[in-house]
Amino acid sequence: MTANGDATVKVVPVRHYGRWVGVVIVGIFLAMVAHTLFFQVASSNVSCHQFAGARVCQHVKVWRFQWNIVGQYFFTSEILHGLLRTIILTVVAMLTGIVLGITIAVMRLSPNRVLTSVAWVYTWFFRGTPVLVQLLFWAFLGYFYPHLTLGVPFTHITFVHLNVNTSLTLMEACALGLGLNEGAYMSEIARAGLISVDEGQIEAATSLGMTRRQTLRLVIIPQAMRVIIPPTGNEVISMLKTTSLVSVVGVIDLLGAATNIYSANYEIKPLLIVASLWYLLVTTVLSTGQFYLERRFARGALRTPPPTPIQRLRTDLVGVASKFRTRRGVEVST
Amino acid sequence: MVKIRDVRKSYNGIEVLKGVDLSVNRGEVTCLIGPSGSGKSTLLRCINHLEKHDSGELRVDDELVGYEMRNGRLYELTDKRVCQNRSRIGMVFQRFNLFQHLTVMENVTIGQMKVLGTGREDASKKSRELLARVGLKEKELSYPSQLSGGQQQRVAIARALAMDPKLMLFDEPTSALDPELVGEVLEVMNDLARSGMTMIVVTHEMGFAREVANTVYFLDGGVIEESGDPRVVLNTPSSERLKNFLSKVL
Repeated sequence: MTANGDATVKVVPVRHYGRWVGVVIVGIFLAMVAHTLFFQVASSNVSCHQFAGARVCQHVKVWRFQWNIVGQYFFTSEILHGLLRTIILTVVAMLTGIVLGITIAVMRLSPNRVLTSVAWVYTWFFRGTPVLVQLLFWAFLGYFYPHLTLGVPFTHITFVHLNVNTSLTLMEACALGLGLNEGAYMSEIARAGLISVDEGQIEAATSLGMTRRQTLRLVIIPQAMRVIIPPTGNEVISMLKTTSLVSVVGVIDLLGAATNIYSANYEIKPLLIVASLWYLLVTTVLSTGQFYLERRFARGALRTPPPTPIQRLRTDLVGVASKFRTRRGVEVST
Repeated sequence: MVKIRDVRKSYNGIEVLKGVDLSVNRGEVTCLIGPSGSGKSTLLRCINHLEKHDSGELRVDDELVGYEMRNGRLYELTDKRVCQNRSRIGMVFQRFNLFQHLTVMENVTIGQMKVLGTGREDASKKSRELLARVGLKEKELSYPSQLSGGQQQRVAIARALAMDPKLMLFDEPTSALDPELVGEVLEVMNDLARSGMTMIVVTHEMGFAREVANTVYFLDGGVIEESGDPRVVLNTPSSERLKNFLSKVL
């Protein structure tokens, strides 16, 4: 019972006027973006036709972003082949980078000083020079080393012999270059993950009689993954875009395909949009994959896993609906 | 079962164990008590070679821990041999140290499967029995983070027991628990002691030491100050240090 004898009191939520103003401003801005993206404007081209005996001329209306031409090129085989190369480069470079990164991180944490120093120098070198320079180096590897041989140093014993100019394709050189560079960054990410695992976990594994290798594989790495995955997802997305550098050394990736086409027909704007949209699309797919991967590796670390986007949308909709039902105040029974 | 003679250990020049002697017979419960920093945890960790002792003799089941005597010399054992020996010594930690990414069931089966090479069927069967024994049959599929401290510690005991240990080491098993959860863990340990398990327990639970232990060792400053039957040692302490210590903890 309340003071005035009512069985119920109404709770009126705080009104956030500042937020509403913000929403209006953002709304106007969004409308401007939509307008410039999707409404046609008069171009400098004039088209004329006969109308009731008179010649009538008017400016042709076009999309500023030339969506019609974007659509025309979106699925051409040249673009799709470029996209395929971009994806292959991303996958190969990232796989190389992850394997190398974990290896170097484990070396870095080894009790042996030679291994830690080598790992440190590797990271120092590949993080310390621009990836474009490294790519150029790998692309022109043949100038430095026309022949590669694997054998015992200072002797004439050789096991493998390779003619670099004929056997290493440009695409392979680029994948190698990007992968080695990525290895340096991944090693730091992997190291952060490995040292984030509580020492007690290692002691527990050891006291069960697990070997060092088993402890690493069964206990440390699975738990380090939770820390390693988010920045690795970031690296994958970053790598997808970094691969566009290979167009500089003449690999026809997604961007390379787009520039090839527009250097022939001068449709620069729409082709850059085609490339950008494809990058965006692949990035979106990757981000979604990252979300589910993180969710999987968070097992045991969180009492309740975060909701999936679909679950969140559902709760949002339910929330908005209930808000509308109780807009005038929440009924509280006393 | 366990024979320790003149064991010494130092960290960065500071001597933590200054010549400790201790022996434990099969089926006996031994409690190590003493103020923090007295070296009791270090001693315990030397027994399963989580720490390497610097000198002295440490034997479990008449075998040297971590070393091998050949032609009058001590040879350090390979990683693999140390691991084999260790797997038969169970250890329970203050902070439980359950594998966070595995379910309760997986925590108990992983050692059996990966170290002992038991098949999944047998390992699961045994794990169920052990979980039932510590009263957590229904928590099989939970993750450690979903359990209370007491429940986690009981899983940790089941995990250690799954390896068929001949010796169980407890490193302050109840120190990280809320007071009302201490009882459930001590009960499991009590039960284990009654079943004839050889146990060495580092503890601050004087009640447990008094009721369950066959022998109590009081460590202070890296040496054993006093030892013997708990009813004698704890009720009529002879050294000033132990009197002082007991007046603080009781």
